[in-house]
Amino acid sequence: MKIHQYIFILLLAGIFTTASAQPVIVQSIQVSNEISSRNLDNPNWLHAPVATIPLLPQNITQPMLQKSSVNSLSVKSIYNNTHIGFMLQWKDSSRDAIVDADKFCDQVGIQFPMNPDTVPNFMMGNKKGRVHILHWKAIWQDDCEKGFRDVIDAYPNYWTDIYPLLERYGDGSKAAFARDVSASQLVISDAKNYMHGAYAGNPMSMIIRKEPCEETSAEGYGTLATQEMQEASAWGYWADNQWTVLFVRPINSADKNDAPIRDKTKMAFAVWDGNAENIGAKKSYSVWYTLELKK
Amino acid sequence: MAQVKNWQLKREMKYPYEDSRPQKQIAYVFDTNKCIACQTCTVACKTTWTSGKGQETMFWNNVETKPYGSYPMKWDMNLMKDMSDQSWDKTTGAYTGKTIFEDAPRGENAKGWRPEERDYAYPNIGEDECSGIVEKGAFFNGIHDIWMFYLARICNHCTYPGCLAACPRKAIYKRPEDGIVLIDESRCRGYKECVKACPYKKTFYNMVTRVSEKCIGCYPLVEQGEQPRCVTTCIGKIRMQGFLSKPGEERADNPLDYLVRIKKVALPLYPQYGTEPNVYYIPPVHVPKEFLNQMFGPGVDEAIKTYKTAKDDKELLSAFLMFGNTPKIVHKFKSEGDFAVGYNDKNEVVTKVPHTEPVFVRPYYDEKQEAYRHNTP
Repeated sequence: MKIHQYIFILLLAGIFTTASAQPVIVQSIQVSNEISSRNLDNPNWLHAPVATIPLLPQNITQPMLQKSSVNSLSVKSIYNNTHIGFMLQWKDSSRDAIVDADKFCDQVGIQFPMNPDTVPNFMMGNKKGRVHILHWKAIWQDDCEKGFRDVIDAYPNYWTDIYPLLERYGDGSKAAFARDVSASQLVISDAKNYMHGAYAGNPMSMIIRKEPCEETSAEGYGTLATQEMQEASAWGYWADNQWTVLFVRPINSADKNDAPIRDKTKMAFAVWDGNAENIGAKKSYSVWYTLELKK
Repeated sequence: MAQVKNWQLKREMKYPYEDSRPQKQIAYVFDTNKCIACQTCTVACKTTWTSGKGQETMFWNNVETKPYGSYPMKWDMNLMKDMSDQSWDKTTGAYTGKTIFEDAPRGENAKGWRPEERDYAYPNIGEDECSGIVEKGAFFNGIHDIWMFYLARICNHCTYPGCLAACPRKAIYKRPEDGIVLIDESRCRGYKECVKACPYKKTFYNMVTRVSEKCIGCYPLVEQGEQPRCVTTCIGKIRMQGFLSKPGEERADNPLDYLVRIKKVALPLYPQYGTEPNVYYIPPVHVPKEFLNQMFGPGVDEAIKTYKTAKDDKELLSAFLMFGNTPKIVHKFKSEGDFAVGYNDKNEVVTKVPHTEPVFVRPYYDEKQEAYRHNTP
């Protein structure tokens, strides 16, 4: 990053932190009961203080986002002896969960520094300054809730004659035609040969998914890598033109690639608005904010 | 951005990465005058690589009818109308306009546009449509008043790929050994920046695997010295695949160097984009030059003139006879007596074709069979 871009970002960060009476801190409150991403009704969330995080369009590295459609994010946090949870909320008037050449989905990410003492670049870390990222996507949410989002889900009237190497399941003899054969069937057959991303083991091409979130590591732009151990959990809820996403991760993870959670560490956030064609580097991001575990 | 040398534009240009030409560059020559749009190449490619779920509307190879055909829809017009000046210096033959890299909007590495789902829905749009209406009373007097031609298209395996320039993850790479451009299917995260940036729209997003895909130049065949499927299945023998040498290292016995760089009879498609594409087209001989200059650059007149001399030029004829007469990659060719001979990289003969096909005249009445022969049109 160029030095003037650093200065610009630091100035912006300064404006946002000094505009309010006190600097924005994400305060996590201690609770005794279980924290689950599937339980939005956990009453403990009502007692957690809200931190409002300002977001900026990513215009530091290419490709850039020129204008943010999501300008802020509300964050709450609770923790118990083993896990810490985060509730992220932002306004979004459209629920975007289908992905195609011209369709993009809503997403959100949380980032932690591997070493809270020497915080790296807030934009996905830097070389030898690794960050740990939890990433949720709306399409993964639907994969988990409704089954893999297939071609027929996006285009109900589409037709195809055959999918090679799996003809017998879609030849019409049992009233099942090729278009009815789920990708989850194809991916466990020889037809996987024609599903190049899945064949190569790309985590993006995971057809059978249990969690709508992914744990990744990064050391700078373009270095995002899926972790081997996936321990985090997430769940998204869309209502009243608002997304609420709950993330839960272990406080003391067995995975050496996971960032440690201490009494004080840093967090950064990113939101992608599918309706505004946000994807990859085209996102709204935050700088680092302090996460404090209240005793 | 770095400064790199683009021989097709006869000048240096901006590109996000330093110049790094492969040892040899995969390249193709397509003769548009021989294509009949039978789509055998399209089907060969489709059945080999893109018959899977999520690939329903994906054609790594397609043949469209110009001037109105295009897949995805308006792939060329949409970019050209958005680009600024696209002029060539008439004296030097150098490009004076801006490339997609030089014309890139703020925050992007290349100028591009992203097709919508609907743009992939009509692969046959404009098929067999002529440039205009045949006037009442018109008759053929040697030159047609209206025109059309078939344009077969695959990935150009560009020297300076737009897709590679746009990928923020560096998931796209150009192989140093043969210049084939590939998407790393395990590294791509489906950002679709390549789909937007490729001026030829030959990278595709797969909504099932949720990553992008493109023509792989049939590299498993190429690695074994064989030409790609779209080339060997071409019934019109319009295609040849081989390798181009680095600029300045051309060999007259390399059929690709000979046709593209020495005789300049085959031209790049929309060279003004600046990606240095490596599928070279022999332009159609009957199409207005303004259209061809826009599509193939300033060398069209000379290319057509040279093309028409092939019947009297044994060397040129020999190079053309390498098309479709062997599945092997021809690294060297020669005109030997009345034959054109092609050699592989081990200097073994892989094809031998007569300059003129022998003509056999069979008598109207076959005495042995006691039968008359009839011409069946």
